[in-house]
Amino acid sequence: MKTLVLGLGNELLGDDGVGTLAARALKEQLNRHADVDVVESPLCGLALLDLLLGYDRALILDAIMTGMHPPGTIIELGPEDLDPVCAPSPHYAGLPEIFSIAEQLALKFPQDIRILAVEVEDPYTLGAGLSSCVTRALETLVRRVQTRLTCLAPSPSTGEGQSEVAKG
Amino acid sequence: MGRTITIDPITRLEGHGKIDVFLNDQGNVDHAYFQVPELRGFEKFVEGRPAEDMPQITSRICGVCPTAHHMAATKALDDLYKVEPPEAAKKIREMIYSAFMVEDHALHFYFLGGPDFVVGPTAEKAKRNILGVLGVVGAEIGLKVIGLRKQLRDLISLAGGKVIHPVFGLPGGISKALSKEDQAKFVAGANAAVEFGQFSLELFDKVVLKNPKYVEWIISPAYTHQTYYMGLVDAQNKVNFYDGSLRVVDPAGKEFSKFKAQDYLQHVAEHVEPWSYVKFCFLKSVGWKGFAEGADSGIYAVAPLARLNASQGMATPKAQGAYEQFFKTLGGKPVHHTLANHWARLIELLYAAERMQELASDPQIIDPNVRMLPTATPKEGIGVVEAPRGTLFHHYETDERGVVTRANLIVATQNNAARIAMSVDKAAKGVIHNGHVDDGILNMVEMAFRAYDPCHGCASHALPGQMPLIVRVYDQHHEMVKEIRRN
Repeated sequence: MKTLVLGLGNELLGDDGVGTLAARALKEQLNRHADVDVVESPLCGLALLDLLLGYDRALILDAIMTGMHPPGTIIELGPEDLDPVCAPSPHYAGLPEIFSIAEQLALKFPQDIRILAVEVEDPYTLGAGLSSCVTRALETLVRRVQTRLTCLAPSPSTGEGQSEVAKG
Repeated sequence: MGRTITIDPITRLEGHGKIDVFLNDQGNVDHAYFQVPELRGFEKFVEGRPAEDMPQITSRICGVCPTAHHMAATKALDDLYKVEPPEAAKKIREMIYSAFMVEDHALHFYFLGGPDFVVGPTAEKAKRNILGVLGVVGAEIGLKVIGLRKQLRDLISLAGGKVIHPVFGLPGGISKALSKEDQAKFVAGANAAVEFGQFSLELFDKVVLKNPKYVEWIISPAYTHQTYYMGLVDAQNKVNFYDGSLRVVDPAGKEFSKFKAQDYLQHVAEHVEPWSYVKFCFLKSVGWKGFAEGADSGIYAVAPLARLNASQGMATPKAQGAYEQFFKTLGGKPVHHTLANHWARLIELLYAAERMQELASDPQIIDPNVRMLPTATPKEGIGVVEAPRGTLFHHYETDERGVVTRANLIVATQNNAARIAMSVDKAAKGVIHNGHVDDGILNMVEMAFRAYDPCHGCASHALPGQMPLIVRVYDQHHEMVKEIRRN
């Protein structure tokens, strides 16, 4: 079972980079797992299609701005939670469109997709880095992914990883 | 009407395009304004950085067309250091750029712009997307599009380092020469692209042009604006995405000006409206006359339709044939119908594919000499390319060490901003009467959006739980009476 941990975001744009940075933090540890690939990508829109093809499972890490949660909240979603959206432009096309396309074209797409999204504060300011609440959320997010993967794939992980899980 | 309208420009837009509609006493539209969220902090961010980092930095501004920014930045560096790349480097750059144009145009047509036509603009909302398109043309074609895109993206990756952040542009050349093996891959990719381009135009002809209802939609006055048009052309005034001179034609199609990127400030100026932090580009010598059309107003457009209007043809044979058919069908040059952008996009796709073929088969392209080292002291550099959505300028000022002191980008959407505002205004006036606001405004505006495909330079992605357009309607007392968003 091939699992993809996909961190999305543009780290130059303030909080937008939280997903990318989470993936980066996870790369080191997860490299030891034969069946897990960790990828970071600032791409948006339909380019994401290429990234997800061929995996059985995907854990997507991303920023979200719903305005409905305090910044720093981690929200878990599945494809069923995303509105089938009719995006007016490639600049807005995203995961919902890709899921629909994959289904329609019967592409080899992950059967199990979960999205862990961090509610962010400012994803617009170049070079601003993460706001403090999102920085804290990043740490929590990383631990949560580690826990999730330990449950999914009981491959040999180091003692370090397991004690972090205990803390998380 | 003499009424002053003050809008707080600091409102957070949540990554959305915002449209504010102001009604007069009768409940009809006085004005409609389109705003985009600002990319904040760019100037500050790049100050103090080595100019040689700009191709990498700017390619991360947009998660959809990083290659366009990378190329414009690379050319700005050539100008900054007054260095001319070797022929092989220029050809490789243009070949990669052509692959990118094919891939991006294909994506846009089949997955986003195409649905308006292939399925039909009056089809139910649920069908007006890629799924509806696939319903009409078949899943096989969908797979073909995805397959071709992947093939081209892999090629760009091969030569460009990483597709996401292409790392190959340097002042005076590129980082890696093209091997014979890679050249063969490019030739194969180009051949597939040409075939795909021809197929797409045939499909367009079959599904759109043979349907009088669709043609009627394309030429409808709702999306017609008589403006100036600008695009890059080669020495023969044929469309070129990578290099050349900027050519501007007037609303009657006559050449109005032709200039090099370095002189853009003499020809293009930016107008600021109190209600928006988007700067609206206009032609300096004509002047800003408000959001008006015609030869007396300095508003101009860029992007596929504009490029075909501003040129005297396509430099490759199959695309030239398509270009001729285009103008013949639509009643001559220039064409003012915004929706014709979708057709023009396919003609450009075919040109980019043929151009890729030409360059890939050029024996000079595997020459190992791909870098001319800069020796001049840097001070100022301007680079221009035609991005898929229009003309893109990068302008840097540096100190004598090549550290950026100032940078300005004019992205495609800025060039089109005034015309987009006019389209929004027109759409609003078309659907709002006597205070009755129809949800159909969203559809009308979205159709214009798909044709211009504005880039808002906002977060490179987000989970789109909400739609990226919000329409707010205000009455004559500037009280908000309605907010429409797609949910």
